Amino acid sequence: MNWTSAIKAIAAALSAAMLAPALAQDSPVRIGYAIARTGPWSAGAQVSQEPNYIMWAEQVNAAGGLSVKGKKRKVELIGFDDRSEAETMVRTYEKLMTSDKVDLILPPWGTGANFAVMPLVQKHGYPMLAPTATGRKLLEMKNPYFFALLQQPDRMMDALAEYLAARSIKTVAFIHVDELFGLEQASALEKSLKAKNIQIIEKKSYPLGVKDLQPVLNDIKAKNPDAFISLSYPPDTFLVTGQAKAIGFNPKVFYAAVGTAFPVYRDKMGPMAEGVMGLGTWNPKMSPQAKAYFDAHVARWKKEPDRWASAHAWAGLQILQQSVEKVGLDRKALRDHIASAEFDTVIGKIRFRNGENISTPGVVSQWSGGEFEVVWPPQNATGPSLFPKPAWK
Amino acid sequence: MSTDLRRILVLLVAASTALATLPWLASDFMLSLALTCLLYVGLAVSWSMFSGATNYLSLATSAFFGIGAYVTAWGFESLPYAVVVPLGGLVAAAFAALVGAAVLHLRGAYFAVLTFGLGELVRHAITYAEKTYAKTVGRVIADPPESIDVYLTVLLLAFLAVAVCATVRASRFGLALAGIGADEERAQTLGVNTRRTKILAFALAAFFAGALGAAMAVRWTYIEPASVFNPFIGFQTVLIAMIGGAQTLIGPIASAVIFSVMTEMLRLQFPYAYLITLGVLLILLVLYLPGGMASLFRRAWKPNA
Amino acid sequence: MTFWIELVATGLITGGIYALVALGLNLQYGLMRVMNISHGEFLMLGAYLTWLAHTVFGVDPVAFLPVVAILLFVLGLAVYRLCFQRIVRTSPSVEVIEARSLLIGFGLMYLVQNAAYLAWGADMRGYSYLSDPVQIAGARFAGNSLLAFGFAMVASLSMLALLRWTMLGKAVRAMMQSPAGAQLVGIDTRVLHPAVFGLGLALAGVAGALLSMIYEITPGMGEPYTVTALIVITLGGLGSAAGCLAGGLLLGLVEAFGMHFTSPSLKMLLSYGVFIGVLLARPKGLFAR
Repeated sequence: MNWTSAIKAIAAALSAAMLAPALAQDSPVRIGYAIARTGPWSAGAQVSQEPNYIMWAEQVNAAGGLSVKGKKRKVELIGFDDRSEAETMVRTYEKLMTSDKVDLILPPWGTGANFAVMPLVQKHGYPMLAPTATGRKLLEMKNPYFFALLQQPDRMMDALAEYLAARSIKTVAFIHVDELFGLEQASALEKSLKAKNIQIIEKKSYPLGVKDLQPVLNDIKAKNPDAFISLSYPPDTFLVTGQAKAIGFNPKVFYAAVGTAFPVYRDKMGPMAEGVMGLGTWNPKMSPQAKAYFDAHVARWKKEPDRWASAHAWAGLQILQQSVEKVGLDRKALRDHIASAEFDTVIGKIRFRNGENISTPGVVSQWSGGEFEVVWPPQNATGPSLFPKPAWK
Repeated sequence: MSTDLRRILVLLVAASTALATLPWLASDFMLSLALTCLLYVGLAVSWSMFSGATNYLSLATSAFFGIGAYVTAWGFESLPYAVVVPLGGLVAAAFAALVGAAVLHLRGAYFAVLTFGLGELVRHAITYAEKTYAKTVGRVIADPPESIDVYLTVLLLAFLAVAVCATVRASRFGLALAGIGADEERAQTLGVNTRRTKILAFALAAFFAGALGAAMAVRWTYIEPASVFNPFIGFQTVLIAMIGGAQTLIGPIASAVIFSVMTEMLRLQFPYAYLITLGVLLILLVLYLPGGMASLFRRAWKPNA
Repeated sequence: MTFWIELVATGLITGGIYALVALGLNLQYGLMRVMNISHGEFLMLGAYLTWLAHTVFGVDPVAFLPVVAILLFVLGLAVYRLCFQRIVRTSPSVEVIEARSLLIGFGLMYLVQNAAYLAWGADMRGYSYLSDPVQIAGARFAGNSLLAFGFAMVASLSMLALLRWTMLGKAVRAMMQSPAGAQLVGIDTRVLHPAVFGLGLALAGVAGALLSMIYEITPGMGEPYTVTALIVITLGGLGSAAGCLAGGLLLGLVEAFGMHFTSPSLKMLLSYGVFIGVLLARPKGLFAR
């Protein structure tokens, strides 16, 4: 059998299959995305991102559709699993943008995936509002179609350093994960602490996937720092919390970056979570709009949104919605509008400068009485902070 | 050159030339799909050149692929694409030769697990070195080459892999490898320098894996150890080659294409359940077609040397 | 002094858990040369079952352990019958069994892992159990880690005793050494094979149940444990139960000491370095048979 003809035949068949949906009626607004439903990225993607996408489309359609410059059209979501693989994800977006020619796209999960999609969004001109990508390196690429919704590391670490200074913390020990995220947060933290004259008495890093950090925690405990900061991902955040309790390490401030904002942190740690601080932006107490979003999420998915990226994902969808209403589906015009206007979202006003969300402030959150309260700075706080950290329960 | 080999090479050139026209005929997505097929053709064929013949089941493909990718990550700023790709292959081959000299006396499952461990070792070594000396953990490729260039490069590499494999199989070198696979001690008594033969073949297979890694890396913009040293690449290569029939030439090729296309079609049609279907198909295939897919072709194709 | 006790103990606890995870795989490989790459997926199932029982029905995880063991034993019998029996019986040589069981293992891995994604979603799950610290000789450990370690020791030592001193154990060892010979003296592989496979999965499930008390649970949690299990049994010597225990403990100690004396970042490098080093010196593992 001739392989060339076989490949041509398969190509023809697949092209026909792909072409079919594009020939269908063009009244729904088609929004495509690839996101992790399986693989290492899926734990984050299925908490913070995809549930929001689906819920948003349902809400919009229930209200009659997405308003495109005043005319309402139904939203059709076209989503695929990217298996937490960059290549699969890139290929899927190529299909969505060139073969399926979707009207809009939504981003995948995580900094690595967003990096991989950047060239495509610029080449094909699809604005992308990313709620789970963070890092100076991303913004340094100056991609005009890319908008990062999360607060960048310097902002969050500045807020943390301010809080520590306000509580007269003198010494800090911190650990970070050997990943771009950990490294950027670490260097931002060092800078912020230095600016407040807080001394770093120990810093260590560890590889992703570590299953035991007790030796490291013991070493740090022996040095008796005022504050302990763990710039970690969810598995390590859980690990560090459990092991700190096991060895009785209870500094005045205990901060674990990612994972603390997830409801599962409270479920798994139980009373242990009380007093633990971390990266978060919001909670349902912040505003009626926030509460409405929270309740809708719980009603739809029988689970709470997380207290960090979930709301940013929702805000991104709101921004997209508001822009399409005003400007329509011309993607270049959309991009220009998103880049220049100010928007009202569930986490407050948002405006972008050079792709960075410059409005949402850096804050420090803390588990207190079963809710991840925003405790610093005072003007954004939803509740008082617990200081020093109460004993492990 | 034997007539069989000549016939294979002629067919290969024809097929590759036809495939080279694809960028102008097909959509971006189809091109990407073809790219994936070609990638796994290259990986599976070069893998079977060593592991299929000698029965030394290597899981080091991920290590070589990742090394190649990092050569691109480090070198792309100062060197052109056409240089980093073969350079990635050479570095991977050198690494394979070095490592092979030390570990190719291990057998069976020990060898397999050890080669797997190698991939992880290299990954962690690079993470550590990058973090400590370069103060970073990922590298950004700022100005990647056009998709057409990537496609044609991978096509060329796949073509070379198949051509080299076919040539090796028809040569005394290939005969020696097959002999090692059949009965290593016997091959040794018959005068084969088994150590040198194995190392050479191991390095040759590594060259292609490394070059392919170097070529593909530019598609992801951001290179980090966890994603380029993904062990799944190695697993999938082994899977494809063995399902196709690792002792044959056509087996891995057909298997690579069919597996890639089928996985993609399943993924797009059944966004939630496709991997389960794949798992079931795989199990059925191994249970009821133990000779691999190549055994299906044996009836329609003349047996190769 | 307390510090050294804690360091060694931490290493042993981690190592003991590694050995526990590897125990089931070792049995399956040693007896049948079945390389069950999906081993970790059954560990994951044990974790999910325990989590469900505890959070939905309020069952005590420790009390649930025997249930997990039985459920996974039965599942193991079914999996063996459906997926592996044909290979073990019809393959021309042990290398072929290894190769084919490897491929079947992949298929099972896809199947089980993705069934879990479909059934329970990708979200992380977890519950808190026995997380209160326990003091031993001045050193402190989490209760759940000690439990896992204790169980690992009991299981490993029982397995060793079983293999060495009971008729069943002798039958299994006979089968490992010489399948043909064992059959000649009347040992029935048709019963032994499925039973040992089932036992292997039961051990994986119980390991998963214990780990679910300590770590968070996701459908993808099994793969790293499969990798660890493979490293441990290769390090210890394929098929050797004593080697499995020794390999696991060694790895745990290397990690703990490595983390303290160098840095956690080097921990992985050290583990793999030691692993490769041991194999270079002793190509068939520590306790080669």
